[in-house]
Amino acid sequence: MDRRGFLKLSLATGLSAATVATAAGCSGGSGGPSGDGGNVTLRYAWWGNNIRQQNYTKALKQFSTANPSIAIEPEFAEYTAFQERMTTQIAARDVPDIFWIASPQVMTYHKSKLYRKLDDIPTLNWGDYSKEDQETFKLAGELNTLPFAIFTPVIRYNETVTKADGVTIPAEGPGWTWDSLAELLIAYSKNNSGQRKGTPYAPDHDLTFEAWLRQRGEQLWTEDGRAGFTVDGLASWLDWWEKLRKAGGALSLSEQEGMGPDWAQVGKKVLVNFGNSNHIIDDAKMFPKEKFRLRAAPIAPTAAAGHKYLYFPRMAIYQRIDDANLEAAGKVLDYNANNPEMLKTVRLTMGAPTNPKVAEQAKAFASPDEKEMLAVVEKERAAERKPRYEAPPGSSTWRTTMTRICEEIALGKTSVPDGAKKLLDDVNAGIKRAA
Amino acid sequence: MRSRSANAKVHSHLNRQGRAAHVFLIPWQLGFLLITAVPLFASLYLAFTNYDILNPPEWTGLENFQRMIHDDQFWASVKVTLIYVVVSVPLQLGFALLLALILDRGLSGLAFYRSAFYLPSLLGSSVAIAILWREIFGDDGLINKGLALIGIHGESWLQNPKTALATLIVLNVWTFGSPMVIFLAGLRQIPDELYEAAKVDGAGVWRQFTHVTVPLLTPIIFFNLILQTIGAFQTFTQAHIISGGTGGPANSTLFYTLYVYQQGFVAFDMGYASALAWVLMVAIAVVTALHFLVSKYWVFYGDS
Amino acid sequence: MATLTAGEVISSPAPVRQGRFRSVLKHTGLLVFVAFMIYPLVWMVVSAFKPPEQILTEPGIIPSDLTFENFKEGWHALNRPFSVFFVNSLIVTLGSIAGNLFSCSLTAYALARLQFRMRKVYFAITLASVMLPFHVLVIPQYIFFSQLDLVNTYWPLLIPKFLATDAFFVFLMVQFIRTLPRELDRAAWIDGAGPFLTFWYVVLPLMRPALVTTTIFTFIWTWNDFFVPLIYLTRTKVFTVPVALNSMVDSETQSGVGMLFAMSLLSLVPILIFFAVAQKYLIRGIATTGLK
Repeated sequence: MDRRGFLKLSLATGLSAATVATAAGCSGGSGGPSGDGGNVTLRYAWWGNNIRQQNYTKALKQFSTANPSIAIEPEFAEYTAFQERMTTQIAARDVPDIFWIASPQVMTYHKSKLYRKLDDIPTLNWGDYSKEDQETFKLAGELNTLPFAIFTPVIRYNETVTKADGVTIPAEGPGWTWDSLAELLIAYSKNNSGQRKGTPYAPDHDLTFEAWLRQRGEQLWTEDGRAGFTVDGLASWLDWWEKLRKAGGALSLSEQEGMGPDWAQVGKKVLVNFGNSNHIIDDAKMFPKEKFRLRAAPIAPTAAAGHKYLYFPRMAIYQRIDDANLEAAGKVLDYNANNPEMLKTVRLTMGAPTNPKVAEQAKAFASPDEKEMLAVVEKERAAERKPRYEAPPGSSTWRTTMTRICEEIALGKTSVPDGAKKLLDDVNAGIKRAA
Repeated sequence: MRSRSANAKVHSHLNRQGRAAHVFLIPWQLGFLLITAVPLFASLYLAFTNYDILNPPEWTGLENFQRMIHDDQFWASVKVTLIYVVVSVPLQLGFALLLALILDRGLSGLAFYRSAFYLPSLLGSSVAIAILWREIFGDDGLINKGLALIGIHGESWLQNPKTALATLIVLNVWTFGSPMVIFLAGLRQIPDELYEAAKVDGAGVWRQFTHVTVPLLTPIIFFNLILQTIGAFQTFTQAHIISGGTGGPANSTLFYTLYVYQQGFVAFDMGYASALAWVLMVAIAVVTALHFLVSKYWVFYGDS
Repeated sequence: MATLTAGEVISSPAPVRQGRFRSVLKHTGLLVFVAFMIYPLVWMVVSAFKPPEQILTEPGIIPSDLTFENFKEGWHALNRPFSVFFVNSLIVTLGSIAGNLFSCSLTAYALARLQFRMRKVYFAITLASVMLPFHVLVIPQYIFFSQLDLVNTYWPLLIPKFLATDAFFVFLMVQFIRTLPRELDRAAWIDGAGPFLTFWYVVLPLMRPALVTTTIFTFIWTWNDFFVPLIYLTRTKVFTVPVALNSMVDSETQSGVGMLFAMSLLSLVPILIFFAVAQKYLIRGIATTGLK
């Protein structure tokens, strides 16, 4: 092919590509508010991996089959990419009608009035939830997000290994304290057949940190949107980890390849892991020959009353949704939270159902790992709980900062008191800037 | 008389060129107006505001720029980026040029080598890179396994703040295929006649290299130098993938654009992010301008 | 093809025996280097054929089990066969190539060869536009295209290419044109050819290495581009390959690694083929492509 041929070929392919692009664009149509003849198209945005993508797409299709007048346009991406896209869409006021909310942004979005209130939509039924439940769902007194699942802080242990190595994880109760856990992990790391360590180094795990704070009578965030913890509170947590780490009870940063390690890589190197109750479902699959069990987070003997808490992943309806689409959107939310059929398709990777009736029904089709998770959450849910508040605007990077400081402590670049002070200063500065 | 008419001719010639230039530049001008200019000036305006993306920006004057002075993270990112630019650009270009020269000299199996050396660049920003790099530089990675054979117990190279940046430099050098392909194209541009003429004059391989290849390749070397430098200043994806977006351990891979991204897209502080971006732009512009000034002394153009 | 051999004959070393020894040495050296360079890729290929749970838990280069599961599962991982995303990527990629060849060559010729008042300013602006980090530009751009209701079409990806916004290629072509002797276009001017004819008949043919390079790079970069398609394409049916791949990554649990590797490998195949074909057109210039 000569020069002219080469150019002609590329021009021709380019033109035909452009034509196809137009065609694709046109056939796509606009994802705008409502279609003709009472038909409604809703955009639904969520995150996860491909399994969750497939399951939810399937479930949403089943919904559309049952409700032929409501079409759903799924918008899916992996967690980080999802947030990048949401940010851009929010800036352009082009937000999906229904969207999941990443935990650091809950109050930021609330402050920016992204949520439509949810207590006046006839198609969304709150009848299964007690008054107390509904109170805990509210953000600054408004019922404007739908908590569709529950996580709690847990210690997950490898039962196959504990049995083989003759280790007993204490039952929940007076013997299950932070100190007894630390002792066990240190003793185990010193002497076991598989050269395992007690746990990955995970002082930046947010849910267990929050459990620690609440047992001390502190909290992560206050009702009026400030940090609810003190330098001492944070330092005591970091100290607990520092002792564990120095005594060899946790993996080194090198052994676990950095903060926030991949479970697939460290799972074979440890006895227990600090995590969210729902993680067992995906994580256990990576070691199919081994059995994993959950314990609620340990409890300090001096723990304050009402320290237990539930964490909710939430979804919301966009404030500027077309009024004509509102009832349809309510129906979709109702299907997500109040209908066990959806869970049969999407499974319980997002945690235990918030709706107590659905949680009960889910036991019938749950896998063993899912049952383990449901049982832990059910117990926590029955406990006395003081209110919990979401992260205020301006604090969305606190976890990144926390991770960095834990890393610096482990590397000997900063001390526990200095690190704790730095984190709190940083959090306060961020909140002040956003105010 | 004669000179005046000659002037007129040159003048009309230039006019004609000017008019033609505007036709040639229609796409570029449209692109500048529609695609480039607005975001450019929007970000300049935002640099002087507090803008959280969700609410309208508020004018804060120089506050964002003053904030940088006391921002440890900012300084850490400046340091990381400068080290990276200074070390990785010359290394990568050196490799690229050397291999391009070897491959241009009529080697058998040329196409194979060219593709093999180019392969790593194809992987580009694939997420698989993060896993790959752990497999090589990690705690039980390939390098430490090698060291173990001679009795040295190595720690993860990625998790040691002293070596983490070096692994990213290796990653950049590893993808020398892109500048290499451009060098190869540049070598192909050199007319055979010039080599033949040099041969007729009795020039050996070395003299051909220094008197034909190098001078005629200088515009391409210059091109690669400028763009690899700009690219190194803006390194984002690789750092983002390998550190999982944190810039860790202990800020040792906190590249400048990673910090810009964290501020803009994670902390929703688009005002500060824009200010940071403009500081970077000015820095790159200064470096580029210096490159252009110095280029007068070493770059040889066929049209001058 | 004749030109290629001509080019190679000229530079091949003359003394045969010494040449052979040196060539063996050279090849050995190069092969060792190649092995070092592509080890990570080999590892990736091997991993793609491992059962997914073994990839991270048993990361050696010699697999204990081989399976095609990752490919089978990955191909259907997103409700649609992966071929859909390949076609989408191809549309975007070919469109981008045409756009860049067209707009960047016109722009570069004007900037390199024509005399006009704003030349230096335009050139500076072109370069400056690649100096600003992308993340602060993306939001205003998105607002622009979403106002035009072009989200979920390929136009936001293609229009910029037809408007010479890829400064990299403009600059690349400017540098190439500037290596060409001026006498060539002077001669055409004297023959009465205007700037357009000169561009089309004299400069463009001589720029072939630059055009091929532009084509190669546009192909690869567009094919691998993630962030822009991620933002503009939200419906599964218009996804390009990298956006589809992203859905297989799970930053929390790393569970999709096997499929991710398998599909990443498949996605490299078109680039590889394209690269292998396109690089043949990087043929040494002036002497043989000729001045007619």
